[in-house]
Amino acid sequence: MSEKPPIQVSNLSKHFARKRSIGSIQAVSNISFDVNQGEIVGFIGHNGAGKTTSIKCILGLLKPSEGKVSLWGGQPADAEVRKRIGYIPENPDYDDSFSPMEYLTMFASMRDLSGVESDWMNLLARVGLTKWETTGIRQFSKGMRQRLSLAIALQSTPDLLILDEPTGGLDPIARKEFREIILEENKRGASIFLSSHILSDVETICSKAIILSGGKLITEGSMKELLGELHLYRIVSISRKTGQEVEEILPEPDLQTRIDSLRKDNVSIIKIELALKSLEDVFMAATGGDHK
Amino acid sequence: MKAVFIFALMTLRMLFRRRTLWGILLVILLALGAISSVPNFDVSNQGRFILDFGLFGIEIGALLLALGLAANLYPRDRETRTLMPLIAVPLSRWQYLLGRFFGAALVQAAALLVTCLGLMLILLFHGLSIPNDLLPATLLIIVEGWFLLSTVFFFSFFTSPPLNWPLTTMLFVLSQMSVAEFVNVLPSAPGLMRAVRMILPHADVFHIKDPIAHGFEIEPVYFLIAIFYGLCYSIFMLSLALAVFRGRDLK
Repeated sequence: MSEKPPIQVSNLSKHFARKRSIGSIQAVSNISFDVNQGEIVGFIGHNGAGKTTSIKCILGLLKPSEGKVSLWGGQPADAEVRKRIGYIPENPDYDDSFSPMEYLTMFASMRDLSGVESDWMNLLARVGLTKWETTGIRQFSKGMRQRLSLAIALQSTPDLLILDEPTGGLDPIARKEFREIILEENKRGASIFLSSHILSDVETICSKAIILSGGKLITEGSMKELLGELHLYRIVSISRKTGQEVEEILPEPDLQTRIDSLRKDNVSIIKIELALKSLEDVFMAATGGDHK
Repeated sequence: MKAVFIFALMTLRMLFRRRTLWGILLVILLALGAISSVPNFDVSNQGRFILDFGLFGIEIGALLLALGLAANLYPRDRETRTLMPLIAVPLSRWQYLLGRFFGAALVQAAALLVTCLGLMLILLFHGLSIPNDLLPATLLIIVEGWFLLSTVFFFSFFTSPPLNWPLTTMLFVLSQMSVAEFVNVLPSAPGLMRAVRMILPHADVFHIKDPIAHGFEIEPVYFLIAIFYGLCYSIFMLSLALAVFRGRDLK
């Protein structure tokens, strides 16, 4: 019998009591989705959309007010389930007095991992922390702490990586390296659940996206479904008779026919370019560009 | 339990690297030094004076160490988000609590033994003999320190560190009071006050400084009962702390 999906969220709601006043704040409202084996799922939404709250419910850090979360059919608190997870929290931080090597060694012992020091050196090298292995974390920049966080998440070769804004404090080069590592992990067989503000990252690496707004799930689907199956092209042409510039957007199958007809009509083609719908367009359309 | 042990060692290392421990230890040792320099009438009185106030100083040190080491542990872990990667994956909540507690308890015990050593050196410096029961008396203060530590942990899960200090200190003061003293606080309800006193801890069982200062022998069975009582109360407070911690959302 095949294993249940790494993440199953059904009708999840979470509300928090307001401090010093009556009522509550609805952080997440009745959301349901699955993350299947081997998928890279992007979890996107503006600030306060409920992404981190949902992730914390998935990890058992918050108790759902309603609904259910299961990981491979088990509870988030199950020791066997937790062994299979790697997690990068939003803005991770660690005790300043330790070095990355000390952290990895202690985490490995706590998780009963079989690796030795050279394994952790290689892991730190993989995330770009070569020569920083024994330096105190107090000297680390935000980006370096993110890299250490990635190393800790990868340490147990997890079956599921839950990443909450992992590239937030990184420069473009580091972001690219992060993306590459995520893709490598996915190739190895890990399922990835990636919460991010950086839509280009999600668009580049994810096979599926879930869009949240105001604590509600607005839309979800594969990237192809969200962005449209067809590639669109933009043709900019100028009429030799009138000098009028015309811009058209056409689906790929119609492109050649239109080029032929323009040539026949003695119209100069200035530019032909891909006019792909971006995830940002989808996101803005789905959320109405609201920042509620 | 391996995870608890490793996490306790991690906590121990962390606390040894913080200045708080060394600051409190220095204050206690300076206070002991100051006690020994108070002039006295004769040698036998001076010995009693140093022992009496020295053990009292170590006991206050146990309170200061419990608060200084542990009041900020959980709040700081939450504030700096160190807690999230720990609780989300390698540790469950009870492992986190026990790991932090054992780490802090070992550091506290080591610091109190150092203060006991300091007291011994002061006695020797004054040409006085070291009573046989000084080390067992320090051991009882260490157990009292663990009880205070578990109380600090309990309060830390639902109060801020500035509030934890007065609450724990208040419990420490109340736990020193006899039933008669306690009833005198509210003489109109003696039954209620007696019942409340029964529930509150009896830290007086850990205090043997007076008999030691006066040269009386303490029965070994007394030490065992007092240690058993202290450990039971610590476990009770840690269970309460875990119940509170388990119910908390880690936002």
